[in-house]
Amino acid sequence: MRHAVILPIAAALLLAACDRAPTVVFADAAITLPDDPADLPDLPGRDAVIANCTACHSPSTMLQQPRIPREKWQSQVTKMIETYKAPVDEQAIPAIVDYLVAVQTAQAETDGGIAPSP
Amino acid sequence: MIDPDGDKRKLTRRAVMVGAGGAALAGPVLAQGLIPSGMIDLGLPGGPSLRPLTPLFPGKGEMIVQRIRPPVLETPMTVFDQGTITPNDRFFVRWNWEMPTSVNAAAHRVAVGGAVKAPASLTLDEIASAGEHVEVVAINQCAGNGRGLSQPRVTGGQWGNGAMGCARWTGVRLKDVLAKAGVVSGATRVRFAGLDVPLTDGAPQFIKSIPIDIAMRDDVLVAWGMNGEPLPLLHGYPLRIVVPGWFSTYWVKMLATIEVLTGEDDSHYVAKTYRVPTQPVSPGDKDFATVPITAMPPRSFITSHADGDTAALGQPLTLRGIAMGGDAALSKVDLVGSGLELPCELGPDEGPFAFRRWTVTIPDVSADLTGIGVRAANVNGAVQPGTLGWNPSGYARNVIERITLRAQ
Repeated sequence: MRHAVILPIAAALLLAACDRAPTVVFADAAITLPDDPADLPDLPGRDAVIANCTACHSPSTMLQQPRIPREKWQSQVTKMIETYKAPVDEQAIPAIVDYLVAVQTAQAETDGGIAPSP
Repeated sequence: MIDPDGDKRKLTRRAVMVGAGGAALAGPVLAQGLIPSGMIDLGLPGGPSLRPLTPLFPGKGEMIVQRIRPPVLETPMTVFDQGTITPNDRFFVRWNWEMPTSVNAAAHRVAVGGAVKAPASLTLDEIASAGEHVEVVAINQCAGNGRGLSQPRVTGGQWGNGAMGCARWTGVRLKDVLAKAGVVSGATRVRFAGLDVPLTDGAPQFIKSIPIDIAMRDDVLVAWGMNGEPLPLLHGYPLRIVVPGWFSTYWVKMLATIEVLTGEDDSHYVAKTYRVPTQPVSPGDKDFATVPITAMPPRSFITSHADGDTAALGQPLTLRGIAMGGDAALSKVDLVGSGLELPCELGPDEGPFAFRRWTVTIPDVSADLTGIGVRAANVNGAVQPGTLGWNPSGYARNVIERITLRAQ
């Protein structure tokens, strides 16, 4: 990545004292971020989640949440739509919520890593 | 205004469908996208607690992957045992909306507007020559650092305690940049926006504001340097705001707009989120008053040992770690728990907003050390509490962090 060059602070102050010329050189910069494998367990509703949720963020976000009840998942989906304007297909909402609940149920069964639903 | 129009990255329903189709087709190929180099257990109560580790993000060493897109990367706690300055390649990363992956330096402008005498559009060179160059060593900590350790658990980014870092920041004073436009009398707040904008039409942009008296502080910066290097793109190249002692939500990255306000800030990320209760609350409480989360409280961590490590029975044991005063200088650190209360020795002082090393020696380990931790206090009298100040967003965790060491 091409980038800015920062002179040592003493040199910077010296230059500033001369003619206030810029002492920091800013260059163009670019990076390439890793691909998102979008690994999602194969459970009913997966297609609805991929079609409606993963354009904005990785599915890992949902896979890492503490176990929460269906109503809380429903309110999370509503928040994404109403507050963050996610262009979610209304018809797909039940399938999305079903999937989120099913993923956490499966996680709890397979790795025992999730506490029982409160 | 701050909300730029016509952004090409904005999502429409159609774009979402096209994107999804592409992702589905590319499924087998994408397996090479992010192969973890290992897994780490963050010890989140009830789980899921395992996270991938990867060195594959540009300019980063091995980081804990909380989210690939937009990037959210956590620093492993072992990094904090290596020094009080967090290297750029191990510093945590957090973006709310998708981050731009390129910056054209010559074309970049910082708009200074709102309640000013003469709105200005400043080049990077003009920012860099706006005033004296200043360095400050300061901790940048996510408001939700440690959220995943909350009990009961709360939703949101499930951080362990690694959403923090301490760097030497270089820049000019914000007040010198503001002077290029001239702040009018009656200004109340200064609001910042970066190049990161929502993908969806009508969604709130991640903009944040600080009170005018904070904005005028001598140590509040428009910074371009991080530990003697240019800010990496992941950390907000070319410029970010630095507010020592305040949570990083105010340290807006890829700074593009500075807006002086004359009233309250009713924008989403100030008025609706990043808020904490004014009084203690319990899980299930509703309709309580909240205020924006602002200044950091003291925190401290044992970094020389992890929970479950062993200690030699009948021998002295030296522990070490890091501590911070938050929005005021650290005054003391004590080792507590397991019947102990020992003052720790503090290392070199790099300023009131920096991490500070502490060490302490237990003269004789006679049994398991159950639930030991360190307790930091600052010069304003704030002390880490023994029990969690639970709140529904998991903000500002500063309970004493405890570990157990087995004597053998």
